[in-house]
Amino acid sequence: MQNKRHLKISFLVILVVLLGMSLASPAAAQVPVQEPGQPVVPITLLSDVQAADPIEFETTRLLAENMRQLGFEVEHLAQPRDVYLNFVWFNRMDWQMTAWRMVGRPERIDPDEFTFNLFHSSTAESGFNFVGYNNPEYDAIAEAQRVELDVNARRDLIFQAQEIIAEDVPYVFIAHPSLPQLVRTDIWDASTIVDQQGIGLENFWTWTGLTPLGDQRTIIAPAPSNLNAINPLFISGGDDSRITELVWDRLMRIGPDGLPQPWAAEEVTREDDLNVLVRIREGMTWHDGEPVTVEDVKFSFEAPQTGESPMYEPFVSNIADIQIVDDQTVRFVLKEPSATFEIATLSKLNLIPKHIWEPLIEELLTSEDNAESIQEDIPIGSGPYRIVDFDLTEQIILEANPDHFSPPKADGLVLRIIPNAESQLGQIQTGEINFLRNFQGDSEVLVELAESDPNIELFSSPSLGFRFFAFNERVDPFDDPALRRAIAYITPREPIINNIFKGFAVPADSFVSTAIEFWHNPNLPQYEFDFDRAREILAEAGYTWDENGRLIAPPE
Amino acid sequence: MRRGIWIYIGGRLLQSLLVLWIITTILFFLFRQAPGSPLAAYIDTTFTEEQQQALIARFGLDKPMHIQYLTYLGNLIQGDFGDSFRYRAPVTEQIMDVLPNTLYLTLTSLFIAYIIGVVGGVFLASRRGTTVEKGGIIFTLMTRAAPQFWVGMILLAIFAFELRWLPSSGTSSPGVIYRSEIQKLTSIDFWEHMLLPTFTLALFLHGLPLLLMRSNMLEVLDQDYITMGRLAGYSERFLMLRVAARNALLPIVTALALGIGYSIGGNVIIENVFAWPGLGRMLVSAVAGSDYPLAQGAFFIIAVIIVLLNFLADVLYSVLDPRVGSSSQAQGV
Repeated sequence: MQNKRHLKISFLVILVVLLGMSLASPAAAQVPVQEPGQPVVPITLLSDVQAADPIEFETTRLLAENMRQLGFEVEHLAQPRDVYLNFVWFNRMDWQMTAWRMVGRPERIDPDEFTFNLFHSSTAESGFNFVGYNNPEYDAIAEAQRVELDVNARRDLIFQAQEIIAEDVPYVFIAHPSLPQLVRTDIWDASTIVDQQGIGLENFWTWTGLTPLGDQRTIIAPAPSNLNAINPLFISGGDDSRITELVWDRLMRIGPDGLPQPWAAEEVTREDDLNVLVRIREGMTWHDGEPVTVEDVKFSFEAPQTGESPMYEPFVSNIADIQIVDDQTVRFVLKEPSATFEIATLSKLNLIPKHIWEPLIEELLTSEDNAESIQEDIPIGSGPYRIVDFDLTEQIILEANPDHFSPPKADGLVLRIIPNAESQLGQIQTGEINFLRNFQGDSEVLVELAESDPNIELFSSPSLGFRFFAFNERVDPFDDPALRRAIAYITPREPIINNIFKGFAVPADSFVSTAIEFWHNPNLPQYEFDFDRAREILAEAGYTWDENGRLIAPPE
Repeated sequence: MRRGIWIYIGGRLLQSLLVLWIITTILFFLFRQAPGSPLAAYIDTTFTEEQQQALIARFGLDKPMHIQYLTYLGNLIQGDFGDSFRYRAPVTEQIMDVLPNTLYLTLTSLFIAYIIGVVGGVFLASRRGTTVEKGGIIFTLMTRAAPQFWVGMILLAIFAFELRWLPSSGTSSPGVIYRSEIQKLTSIDFWEHMLLPTFTLALFLHGLPLLLMRSNMLEVLDQDYITMGRLAGYSERFLMLRVAARNALLPIVTALALGIGYSIGGNVIIENVFAWPGLGRMLVSAVAGSDYPLAQGAFFIIAVIIVLLNFLADVLYSVLDPRVGSSSQAQGV
């Protein structure tokens, strides 16, 4: 009797779930076509749901209201992130306008990725140019900056690219969120914390330079979710990278100022457009005691060329040849001149020991798997920290490598997986953790905590990432730049930052963060909130309003 | 009679297998219903078209759906759940890594909860109509109704952050990693970390057996044979513990078996509050990250455990109570 009931119940559950699934799928509504002289077509404005991302939801709600006042018919459609992200990404003709964000990653300190991938027409079909921006003049500049080896000339090109985007408004930039972070300054010397531009406090330079004030000499920091892997040939996640960058050295590192500087390399010289000479430091050793040789260096850049490390492969694809010159020197021969070779390749690839990885890679060449499936029991690098032990679901235990050319000031570093934000908040007060970042709750809680607890200090630094609204330029009505510019004028950045971000953001006017002083163009048009200016622009472009205040498209 | 039981058991076994097959099928197609490409989250923006295709082929996603389904079933029968998209490693490894933690937490909590529940149920039944009974019921209902994360946070705030008696998260202190399950179970550090989550979970779980036991007791105490026993001069204590409690215990067995099944996958909240590395947390992140192989594998293991315990409960029941299982008698003919 009972069994039959169970069966029936499970079928019922299945039915309900399937029904729910079909309802939850996003409606693939056709984007309406604009008739000249008729009311501007209704706009569907996409964003995340309020519970998951209140900042995005509220910002969108505010802009939708302002657009209505300007005469648009707007529906604000809030959906779970995965749903609308996938919809916009895979149905490039079927959406009109959406809230969106780009996150900051260390490699994005160099403006190349955003400059090229976001707006170059070659990435419009299936790449990052999901808005379908197409401007031959811009394409030429985006391509030129890739091969311009003179850094100042390249800066001019990047400035020009930012200017074109600011004029054409494929995005309405809103803000670069700031990262509020707490530090136990009774345990660690606050003056040894390095705020890396656009990255924040928790970066390579802080982890290696942080100096203890008392008996506790091991840094304890939280990560909000399980790590995926600790693997020098797999870019497996943000927190995973925090570990790999400490365990494996690189020839160069991105400094606190955002520019690459020699690290395991003693010196990097450009012989000409295509030849880069690298002399490595003497006396470096792997964590197992073996010496680091030029053979290892050569191997580290050749391993991804085998196709067994797909995520690193793009960064070595421009290398034609690697020549060993002498015991300390290698020469990289490039296929094409590249301005970003130091930052995108030499600062990116982990140096890996040939004696460990060569046999592994050979084995992989004949198997379906690639290097991403390999997890060493105790990974071996040559970096300033070495791995003592780890459990990806619980904690990663590192100790300082005293043999390193730049040994850390702390004795060790423990990364603890703590998914509960409230618990992190409690633990920084008890000292169970010493750092707190990426807090998911209300930022004001952090402010209050830092004010009430003398042992805790609050730091805040603007991120490389930014939030924005994106227009689909393939469809009506946003193929018209006047319309996009008008909407930029009615986006109230200041109230959004003060009220919705609670002050934890700086206004954004470009895809290059203001945090990166070297690359950010300081003279861009600002689109200060101005309703009348928006009306003026529309009127100049031939738009009119009917007696109900509805916006009417220009006649033919 | 004996043969009847075997036929009953065989039938139940077949039904269990059928249920598992249905669940597997639904899981497979359900996840593929989700919008977008399943690998979208795992394809880096810098990938070339070729690399994307290679990754898709590596996970067999380039083949037609029915082939994928048959391959999946074939592998499943051989105990191979495939590779996780996210970890790029076998699903079985990922699950086995965290399953013990979930078992320690849930089994210990259930054990405590059911002992407290059974004893408490008998106690409340024996105090029928008194203020003690009323107070006890109100307290139990409160623990049952209070959200687990809230209770967990309150306990954390008191014992971990205010009094600082107990550690607040994980299964070990910073810098400690257990190399084996035996080392883990024999370490005081581990049990200290177990205390708060176990207590929170037991507090939530004990309500069901307690209320069930109490009402069963009251029902049994109304039976004629108890009245007969009283008239025959047996002590109230003897009747309560030896006669009534034994009979009232039977439904608790079923509840316990189901309870074990449901709590295997149902501790997402507690595992999050106490940063306990268990199956629930892994499941949620797998679903959120569209890691189908891992999510399917985890759901499948949970389903197997629930179905298996259900089956065991039925068999056990038929042994404890011979009327169950012999169908003619069960139907009262």
